[in-house]
Amino acid sequence: MGRCGGDRQAEHLPTRWPQLLDPGTLEAVVLTMGSKQTVFTREQLEEYQDCTFFTRKEIMRLFYRYQDLAPQLVPLDYTGCPAVKVPYELIGSMPELKDNPFRQRIAQVFSDDGDGHMTLDNFLDMFSVMSEMAPRDLKAYYAFKIYDFNNDDYICAWDLEQTVTRLTRGELSAEEVSLVCEKVLDEADSDHDGRLSLEDFRNMILRAPDFLSTFHIRI
Amino acid sequence: MLRAALPLLMLPLAAARAAEEPTQEPGVPGESPPGLALFRWQWHEVEAPYLVALWILVASLAKIVFHLSRKVTSLVPESCLLILLGLVLGGIVLAVAKKAEYQLEPGTFFLFLLPPIVLDSGYFMPSRLFFDNLGAILTYAVVGTLWNAFTTGAALWGLQQAGLVASRVQAGLLDFLLFGSLISAVDPVAVLAVFEEVHVNETLFIIVFGESLLNDAVTVVLYKVCNSFVEMGSANVRATDYLKGVASLFVVSLGGAAVGLVFAFLLALTTRFTKRVRIIEPLLVFLLAYAAYLTAEMASLSAILAVTMCGLGCKKYVEANISHKSRTAVKYTMKTLASCAETVIFMLLGISAVDSSKWAWDSGLVLGTLIFILFFRALGVVLQTWVLNQFRLVPLDKIDQVVMSYGGLRGAVAFALVILLDRTKVPAKDYFVATTIVVVFFTVIVQGLTIKPLVKWLKVKRSEHHKPTLNQELHEHTFDHILAAVEDVVGHHGYHYWRDRWEQFDKKYLSQLLMRRSAYRIRDQIWDVYYRLNIRDAISFVDQGGHVLSSTGLTLPSMPSRNSVAETSVTNLLRESGSGACLDLQVIDTVRSGRDREDAAMHHLLSGGLYKPRRRYKASCSHHFISEDAQERQDKEVFQQNMKRRLESFKSTKHNICLTKNKPRPHKAGHKKKDGMASVEAINKKPRDLGFQDTAAVILTVESEEEEESNSSETEKEDDEGIIFVARATSEVLQEGKISGSLELCPSPRVIPPSPTCAEKELPWKSGHGDLAVYVSSETTKIVPVDMQMGWNQSISSLESLASPPCTQDPTLTRLPPRQLDVDEPPALLDLSSDPRPTFAFPPSLAKAGRSRSESSADIPQQQELQPLMGHKDRTHLSPGTANSHWCIHFNRGGRL
Repeated sequence: MGRCGGDRQAEHLPTRWPQLLDPGTLEAVVLTMGSKQTVFTREQLEEYQDCTFFTRKEIMRLFYRYQDLAPQLVPLDYTGCPAVKVPYELIGSMPELKDNPFRQRIAQVFSDDGDGHMTLDNFLDMFSVMSEMAPRDLKAYYAFKIYDFNNDDYICAWDLEQTVTRLTRGELSAEEVSLVCEKVLDEADSDHDGRLSLEDFRNMILRAPDFLSTFHIRI
Repeated sequence: MLRAALPLLMLPLAAARAAEEPTQEPGVPGESPPGLALFRWQWHEVEAPYLVALWILVASLAKIVFHLSRKVTSLVPESCLLILLGLVLGGIVLAVAKKAEYQLEPGTFFLFLLPPIVLDSGYFMPSRLFFDNLGAILTYAVVGTLWNAFTTGAALWGLQQAGLVASRVQAGLLDFLLFGSLISAVDPVAVLAVFEEVHVNETLFIIVFGESLLNDAVTVVLYKVCNSFVEMGSANVRATDYLKGVASLFVVSLGGAAVGLVFAFLLALTTRFTKRVRIIEPLLVFLLAYAAYLTAEMASLSAILAVTMCGLGCKKYVEANISHKSRTAVKYTMKTLASCAETVIFMLLGISAVDSSKWAWDSGLVLGTLIFILFFRALGVVLQTWVLNQFRLVPLDKIDQVVMSYGGLRGAVAFALVILLDRTKVPAKDYFVATTIVVVFFTVIVQGLTIKPLVKWLKVKRSEHHKPTLNQELHEHTFDHILAAVEDVVGHHGYHYWRDRWEQFDKKYLSQLLMRRSAYRIRDQIWDVYYRLNIRDAISFVDQGGHVLSSTGLTLPSMPSRNSVAETSVTNLLRESGSGACLDLQVIDTVRSGRDREDAAMHHLLSGGLYKPRRRYKASCSHHFISEDAQERQDKEVFQQNMKRRLESFKSTKHNICLTKNKPRPHKAGHKKKDGMASVEAINKKPRDLGFQDTAAVILTVESEEEEESNSSETEKEDDEGIIFVARATSEVLQEGKISGSLELCPSPRVIPPSPTCAEKELPWKSGHGDLAVYVSSETTKIVPVDMQMGWNQSISSLESLASPPCTQDPTLTRLPPRQLDVDEPPALLDLSSDPRPTFAFPPSLAKAGRSRSESSADIPQQQELQPLMGHKDRTHLSPGTANSHWCIHFNRGGRL
């Protein structure tokens, strides 16, 4: 299961993956060097299907993407539920993500202990939330989490300042940032406690219906 | 600008007309006798432009008349009325001149009437919405138009084969395909005219409208290909010609877009260097866009596509580069030209239909065409939507499809194209003309009339005018980034991926290249939105201010009437606000003008405040000097420090105000006793009559106390004032009234704003009513002098610095004022304490100071022109209570700093 094997599979994923499901056993298998390899057991796949908004095909596709992130770390055999994490350094150093101001935050929110290292479950979770099928409240919840930099379950001025600074890439002065944050807080803060609870956030975000309607991607 | 651009439009138009009707109107007296004529009638020399101007005037007057009755215009689209008017006018001309005149000439239409409309729609196109739906728009524009053209043409041919079309219509399959290609394209002018009055949701609108713009390329190609096939004769067409036809589709569309983008680039680059010649900025926009149109036309590429792309591409950079006033000029001129062109098009369309020599009727053909275009349009939309919905995030539902099918209006483009046909090559031209006229009239009048009730009946999601919030902007950006990040992780290069890439590219290279350095610096979207929202809040507060005023029972003699005037305009404005992207051609005619003025007024009020001017200052003053980064940082530091000082010194003042304020509530005053001597004094004075002299006395105590409190920080405080002054001086505001307002900052004894939200507290414009305070004080001396005194005391130092003009010119002086003021300050204060009513001497001197300053900064002429308007607007909204919240600003800010 060398590196080149993983790469090759990733490249051919869209066309190849119909073969990845063995119709006889409904187990997810992969053809590597001519031999069949079971990735998930049937139970595992069903469990993943229950826990996410994905079909088997999509799960397999995401798995290969995950495996491709760190081919040397992630085994192709997941039947034993190996405790594998892709370290954040690998995700954050992807060239496409280089300029994204939220890459670390996203990884942190979806990782188990907030360190940005992602297991396969985390990885699937992340895309599950972005799926069209995910309910709005779930999306709002995760969006809220992403904003909540200090994990105190409230979006406070500091959290917003982080967001604004990242968004503007340092174009605004500290003073302007805090002015903007004040305004943002003021707009959405219905109970006037100077910070946004999840409830505030949800109300505000659902008021503009186009918000969450665009908050998904097609895998 | 308008004057510069209109002749541009009219003169060639006139020339075209002059060429086409040289023998018209023999109004000239034959031979004038040799020698000096006292009076000469030179109709011939002015005839052509005169007629053009006259026609536009008639059209404009007709528009005014239509809009006299709200009922009519709410039921009938303007385009219908104009066509009907054209019919009537055409009938009159026909009856008088015995022949049809003043018809819609294809040359005039394509070269002069169409470009302004397309430019307007391209320039004001909501680009994000457009690119979000680009896939759907392109599908409908390309596949849909091809489908419509071929099916309609083929079906008509079938109809003829079946014998349902009279045999005198001599046309083969190719002729019918040609006709199908010109009749199939949805017309941007007609769609715009009808849809802007219907207000369907943005997605639906952008799809129909975007399709109508982009299908031009397909129409042009199809028309040209079919036309040349017809002219070659079907026998001579070879297989390679078909291939060439397909290839030309790409050449024409991509070439047109490329021409547009090149000119957009040129335009953006040019406006980067117009800092010293602001006056030609609007002209450049129109000239280069028109050049793009003509260039594309010259190369027989899609001119509509070129202008659309030019407008779409240049807007961001041009808007950032040109001055505020040029922006307004561009917007108004564009809207005026487009509206004018649209009006003329529809009217001429009506007139042209009268000319019976041009057309020949065949019921089978007409009815068949009508049915086929409706049917195939609907079928095409349903099929394409089904495919598209497999890929779309937000699928288009059935109701959307109905509106899309029904909204496929045909218009002047089809008419101009059919007129262009060569009768010798296309023997059935007259029949085609008649059919086109009927189709255009049917779609514009019947469908235009019924689409509004249909939309209502189907309960199509209307466009919502919800208030855009800063949250929305913020989250939109954040979500974009999050989605892009997630797409990157999954290695799925979807839409967000490309948008993210584009944004990075734009930020790194394009903006750097095409935007002025200063413009690039201030141009951050979030800040922009924040700024705009503040203006909006300012407006709503002014609206509210009227109520505050009346509720507190402070009714001034002349206040009610002023109030009502102001309120109507402001509420109008509020109702109108919230339209993000405005494609509405009419919008300027109705409420916008009022709104713009108000907007400008608020804009100025706002920039009178503390924070924004810092940015403005950097931007606008670059004319005089280039401020270095170090300098800026230094300024900022001083500024922030000052805010802190100011807060401290102000705390005390505020308490005192509260004391004087709370006279009816002694317990509160007692509670504040600990604050110091002055409070005690104030309480002592509590039972006394609040006569003018008394209040003055109170104030004096307060003042001295403030001085004590801030003694230690005297220099910084002065410095602060100095800084503020510089900021203002170089800000856009620069008007005496404004300055006096921000300086006087009279804290009100009574009124606490009804809902002192953070946003409101931040609004600097609240201080902008100072001039009103002056104004009012002369009328109601009882209460206001207290405020005036306070304002005087607090701003005395600013006044001092105001009087020294060098500050505006020399940036280094921003750090100098402390010393200077240290010297000046004590006498001033002494003066004040010895003078019982200094306020009344204050405004003139202040005004002088303000004037001298505004004159000294030549950079900002536009703002000054707007001043009279503002001053008089502001006055109507005076609420003494507002100043209070201004101080809250300082308080809050200081706290954070």
